[in-house]
Amino acid sequence: MEKTKNKSAFLTKTLEIFKKIGRGIKIFFTKMYSNKKSAIGFSIILLYVIVAIVGPLLFPYDSTVNTANKYLAPSLEHPFGTDWMGLDVFRQVISGTSSVLQVAFFTAFLSIALGTVLGILSGYVGGWVDRVIMTIVNIFLSVPSFPVYLMMAALFTIETPITMALMISIFSWAGLCRAIRVQVISLKESDFIQICRVMNMSTGHIIFKEIMPNLFSYIAVNFVLILRGSILASVGIMLVGLASYNPTDWGVIIQAARMRGLMNVNNVIIMLYPLVAILIFQIAALMLSQGLDETINPRLKVL
Amino acid sequence: MEEKTWNEEAKRPSAFKRAGRAVLRFFKKNEYIFSKIGFSLLTLALTTIFLFFLLRQIPGDIVDIYAQQLQYSRGLPYERAYELAVQLLNYNPNENIFAAFFRYVGGLLRGELGESYLQEGVSANLLIEQRLPWTLFISSVALFISFFLGVAIGGYVAQRRNGIANKIASGYIAVTGAIPDYLMALLMVTLFAYQLKIFPSQNNFDIFTVTPGFNIDFILNVLYHAALPILSSAIIQTGYWIMQMRGSCIGILGSDYIFSARARGLSERTIRKKYMNKNALLPLVASFGVAFGGLFGGSVLLESIFNYPGIGLEITARITSKDYVVVQGLVFFSAAMIIIVNLIVDLIYPLIDPRVKRG
Amino acid sequence: MTENIVTIRNVSIDYPLRKYTLRAVTNLSMDIKRGKITALVGESGSGKTTLSSSLIRCISEPGKVAEGEIVFYDTTDEGEKEIRVNELSEKEIRQFRWAKISMVFQAAQSALNPVMTVRQQLYETMTEHGLTLSKEQMEERCKELLGYVQLDSERVLNSYPHELSGGMKQRVMIAFALLLDPQLVILDEPTTALDVITQSYIFQLLKKINEEKHISMLLMTHDISVVARFADYIGVMYGGRLMEYGTVDEVFEKRRHPYTEGLIGATPSIIGDIGQMKPIEGSPPNLLDMPSGCVFHPRCPYCQEACMQEEPQTYQLQGGATCKCHLRRE
Repeated sequence: MEKTKNKSAFLTKTLEIFKKIGRGIKIFFTKMYSNKKSAIGFSIILLYVIVAIVGPLLFPYDSTVNTANKYLAPSLEHPFGTDWMGLDVFRQVISGTSSVLQVAFFTAFLSIALGTVLGILSGYVGGWVDRVIMTIVNIFLSVPSFPVYLMMAALFTIETPITMALMISIFSWAGLCRAIRVQVISLKESDFIQICRVMNMSTGHIIFKEIMPNLFSYIAVNFVLILRGSILASVGIMLVGLASYNPTDWGVIIQAARMRGLMNVNNVIIMLYPLVAILIFQIAALMLSQGLDETINPRLKVL
Repeated sequence: MEEKTWNEEAKRPSAFKRAGRAVLRFFKKNEYIFSKIGFSLLTLALTTIFLFFLLRQIPGDIVDIYAQQLQYSRGLPYERAYELAVQLLNYNPNENIFAAFFRYVGGLLRGELGESYLQEGVSANLLIEQRLPWTLFISSVALFISFFLGVAIGGYVAQRRNGIANKIASGYIAVTGAIPDYLMALLMVTLFAYQLKIFPSQNNFDIFTVTPGFNIDFILNVLYHAALPILSSAIIQTGYWIMQMRGSCIGILGSDYIFSARARGLSERTIRKKYMNKNALLPLVASFGVAFGGLFGGSVLLESIFNYPGIGLEITARITSKDYVVVQGLVFFSAAMIIIVNLIVDLIYPLIDPRVKRG
Repeated sequence: MTENIVTIRNVSIDYPLRKYTLRAVTNLSMDIKRGKITALVGESGSGKTTLSSSLIRCISEPGKVAEGEIVFYDTTDEGEKEIRVNELSEKEIRQFRWAKISMVFQAAQSALNPVMTVRQQLYETMTEHGLTLSKEQMEERCKELLGYVQLDSERVLNSYPHELSGGMKQRVMIAFALLLDPQLVILDEPTTALDVITQSYIFQLLKKINEEKHISMLLMTHDISVVARFADYIGVMYGGRLMEYGTVDEVFEKRRHPYTEGLIGATPSIIGDIGQMKPIEGSPPNLLDMPSGCVFHPRCPYCQEACMQEEPQTYQLQGGATCKCHLRRE
């Protein structure tokens, strides 16, 4: 009896929380869908995420080499044909989706976390904290990131999307941090924050209740931009032949096709599938970020 | 100045103090310059530390590998070879971390960026000397072409925002903004070099048919080999510069001084040249400088896709062959160049924009 | 010499936007008297700035004069000439601007090109207007004008705009407006961003220019007290229409239009006692959704049945005054 009561109380509570979250998400979505660009961009990215989750279950990847089947033309059984080892290209691309997206989302979460925390700290506290953080940011902005990625990828073993994401985040937080800092500084000077200070509200309250909500949309845009950037970086690293931990990752497929020789039209076609997949994701992410930007700053729309 | 101070000090005891104050005033007066220089030096120093720690992650005893190589090639006893290796690599695994760091910095200060421990006689300096001209050639030509095209087109469409040209420009910006330059390069090299075979797929010139020097055959051959890399990089970058220039111009066109210039009866040509372009270009000149600084590291993927022997290709090749000390030297060089060029941009900017106060 | 320097007849100004057309000024007629200071008052969005920029055909994009006629009566040594502003060619209008009608801008703080010195911009305006003067003559002219507005010409000429203070910039702009000896100067809220002391100084200067150089002025402001002190004629604008027009004395004394009455009532310095000050109820009209009938009726304390249905005519009253209100039908 006690148990069921507890259970029902627990249930209503969780339901309430879900309702609250649901309402928040609903507002976010209605806002996003009011703009055509962000609606299209978001739908495409959502499709990618669904493919990454559901795809491998429907079309599991089979890595048994069967050279008798090499370079088969597209057919019902092999929608994208097969490669030089007789492997199904369609299943490779599907299986690679989750690998690529994992890197992208991990990087985005890590960079956003680091960039936002340090950006707010730098902008809000100011003084020597600001100077120290900005100096560090400057280093990461002036050291060419890509060669360092390559050096690190060669020196450390990168075998999972998480290590890859960790590595890419080392550089990708810096730009965001600087941008957040500028936002926080301008917010700090704004009237309503000044009023909060005069009213002697706690710093925590000001940061979490007053500043953070104003940064949210800004962070959302940057999240999408970092998604783009991290896919570029991870595929780029794989194109050099490093960090090929997953043979179905798009970068690895492209690199393998390149190594097989682009004189052969079959290899070119194999390379094009993941390449087009990347391009579509890039365009979708660009549309989403621009659309979000427009809904957030309506005056941009005039341009 | 130093001497004068000393002379005065001999005459009057307070002269030293006054000279100190004068020096202080000199620093205060040029605060902008000194703070910029100081900040750049600090960034450079921290970059060095960062690379030093990365270097220490190299697996295996690189000094030992190099010493063995020297032992064979020069016929030295192992101890002598080891000493020589330490000296050449600026690195001694037996030292503590601070001594190692100072040895490393000492090498950089002497201008020795990094010796290869795999190939005797090869160093980062040598590679920079050989490869930098090629890297700068393709990347700066691409940058200049795209910058001037972008500025011209961006300025044009900003004034005709309802025209068809602006729609086309917007589409171009969107497409080129979504395609990364190296995928563009990959598509170009596949189509024009591997499939259609109209353009070469590797090298900076054909060593068998032309002789380097100032002759027309050589120049044409170099341009023929550089065409695809320049084109693919310029196509992507142009979109970026159009976007920057258009945005900058639209901001300027809405400003009060454009309205007042029109009210003063100035011709549209004057307004465009002296009012819009001059003001809109200022921030772009700064970004151009920053972009130029980035050229010194070479475009790693672009060069490796076209097999174009620049610094970028060298970095990928040396990473694959695990020649990390050289890679580190090349990375340090490009980081240093970015920092230096940024500093130069910061120092020059007040001269072109009267609003930024200098000193 | 004609009494009027500019006559505005039945002018409507439209801003065609993507989905609808916004009419900023509706069927407006008004005279600007030669040698006098005519004030134009009204809340922001009442169409003052649009109307004044139409005098030099410099309405901000995409606005244009849809109907009506603006005539400028040019008096030179050779005699008088009517200039129809809307019929001038591109080239003619460029020569007309600043040489005949110049302007002191609301945003004087940013009306100068930030990357050129004051000298360069003054010289540029002279050469662009085809003045064939030598360097020395131009220098002479600039120094004379800057001296007139009591600025240190040596320093100011070689300065960039950002090196000058707000009051100095405004005086530079006034000197600038006099550069080509115009017959009419439009003053678009010339003291908005300045402190009170500088404000009154600037107005004294403008009054002096008006009296000594006999330059006509069109002053746009929403500060009624300034109008009372400096202007000769006043036009009251509301929702893109001219509600009342006449000499300052008459308009302020008779207060024929309810809106004028409200404006004066809302100004503390005239009444003298802050307790008597009362703001006009309601808010300015939305230009996209104008009220029917008289545009002022939703805020008018004397609103009648007719006001809601029918737009009042402009009634001619004695002494050249006009009033656009049903109450003045008799």
